[in-house]
Amino acid sequence: MTHDHRSRRFNVEALTRVEGEGGLIVEVRDGEVADVRLRIFEPPRFFEGFLRGRAYSEPPDITARICGICPVAYQMSSCQAIESALGVTIDEPLRDLRHLLYCGEWIESHILHIHLLHAPDFLGYPSGIAMAADHRFEVERGLQLKKLGNRIVEVVGGRAVHPVNVKIGGFYSTPTAVTMAALADELRPAVESAMDIARWVATFPYPDHELPDGTALVALRHPTEYPMLGERLVSTTGLDIAVDEYLDHFAEVHVEHSTALHGHMLAGGDYLVGPLARFALNADHLAPRAAALAVELGLTPAERNPFRSILVRAIETVHACEVALDIAERYTPPARPAVPVQPRASSGCGWTEAPRGLLFHRYEIDADGLVADVRIVPPTSQNQPVIEHDLIHLIGNSLHLDDAALEHICEQAVRNYDPCISCATHFLDLRVVRS
Amino acid sequence: MSPPVTVIGIGNPYRRDDGAAACVLARLAPLVDPAQVRLVELDGEPVRLIQSWDGSQSVWLVDAVRSGREAGSFHEIAADRLADIDDRGVRLGGGHLLGLGDAVDLARALDLLPAAMRVLGIEGADFADGVGLSAPVDAGCTAAAAHLATEIARELAALG
Repeated sequence: MTHDHRSRRFNVEALTRVEGEGGLIVEVRDGEVADVRLRIFEPPRFFEGFLRGRAYSEPPDITARICGICPVAYQMSSCQAIESALGVTIDEPLRDLRHLLYCGEWIESHILHIHLLHAPDFLGYPSGIAMAADHRFEVERGLQLKKLGNRIVEVVGGRAVHPVNVKIGGFYSTPTAVTMAALADELRPAVESAMDIARWVATFPYPDHELPDGTALVALRHPTEYPMLGERLVSTTGLDIAVDEYLDHFAEVHVEHSTALHGHMLAGGDYLVGPLARFALNADHLAPRAAALAVELGLTPAERNPFRSILVRAIETVHACEVALDIAERYTPPARPAVPVQPRASSGCGWTEAPRGLLFHRYEIDADGLVADVRIVPPTSQNQPVIEHDLIHLIGNSLHLDDAALEHICEQAVRNYDPCISCATHFLDLRVVRS
Repeated sequence: MSPPVTVIGIGNPYRRDDGAAACVLARLAPLVDPAQVRLVELDGEPVRLIQSWDGSQSVWLVDAVRSGREAGSFHEIAADRLADIDDRGVRLGGGHLLGLGDAVDLARALDLLPAAMRVLGIEGADFADGVGLSAPVDAGCTAAAAHLATEIARELAALG
């Protein structure tokens, strides 16, 4: 590395505090950012390949194994896609249970990201462990809330890790009223705890930065709900499409430096999925206390600073706690745990909002009920191009920094997107080259 | 009230011998009193790990390891040596975000470490995709469960 700021090359060999294995190379020539490559070298995992020939009932459990952080997202999107293919509509109480299960995963994932992965960047610590020594109260408070997220997944999903209770058509079994009442008791104080976490996150020092001009924000939209289980896909550029139109508007391409495909809009231009996009397009559907807190903390749908994504995650955690409490308090055991399903030759698409953003699935089922073809488009694949272009923009405005400071802000900026490389290969080792 | 002893099995039963810990827990279950001993299966995610031993004075972490010893043999490792083990490349739970050693460090920072923590490593031979243990590891799990039952009985007697 050189301290000639006009020409330098950064190479972060292995990014830390992200899920999966990747790195970052930045090349600066004659005072201009020449290249930024988010290197994803975690081996391809070929899930789409080995799902072929499996029974239509298996993808929820198999795809859940793609990620230890967001297995519910894979279960929800695969169920939605296969149920669409087979003409199955689940009962409303079963949809409520799926919504509750998803709330548990959002709480777990967002709280882990906030406390152990990203807050150390803002507060000047090399790791969550180092931060915990000085911020014990805040970390303990966060871990207590994460435990509640685990508990929700355990109660509805059958176990906290890689839940096993979800099936095509509903669930294998549903919780008892007594179990759900106990969960509601645990959730009541959690809303206030989540609000305190958001107020703490709002005090972090945020770099002054915005997404590159022209970046489209893309998220699901539901007529009445903040869209964990959305219906249509909308964007800040006016897109408004149904699920079976997704592949007419979006595509994935292979790039040499990544084992994960890069997502693109066929109409051109970068797009962003995840908390910032969800909030920009759905803030009007936040639960009441989350919505009021966003206003109190100065967060508006016009927010375009990716460093403030952590604050949106905190607001979304409040929302997830409120929704979970509402579902748990209204709960009566459903009349049946699942609706009947009859396989047939068909195809169907499904999409839900994973904690990191849009997760699209498409399945073709043959007449024997076996999976003939699969497409899975995870959020990190879709965000890779915008991460690289955001870094070009950020580095261009930060070349006055020395190499160490520049590396730090680059890693922090990558973590704004909470990339899940294990999902995308279905990240950071930084190299900065100045020449 | 929390049981005084927690035994945590870590691993992936879909990677052959990596499922050794789950097998040990299943064979340990009839040998211990559930009021005294909590048995937990986890994937190694550190926060869940720390929270799973809440309230226990003694914690055992059981996992498949690969160190070049005889398949099916088992050995105890002090929890404060976990960082060394990770550096040598011996798998003790995995996960990309934080390792098992990180979980112990985080617990220490939060003053959540139990009074005693030990790791029981079962030497694996086959970590390929698929279910089912290799024959020597299957036999080793029975011996490891018996060893744990003896050690736990001794601990409970000492705790009064």
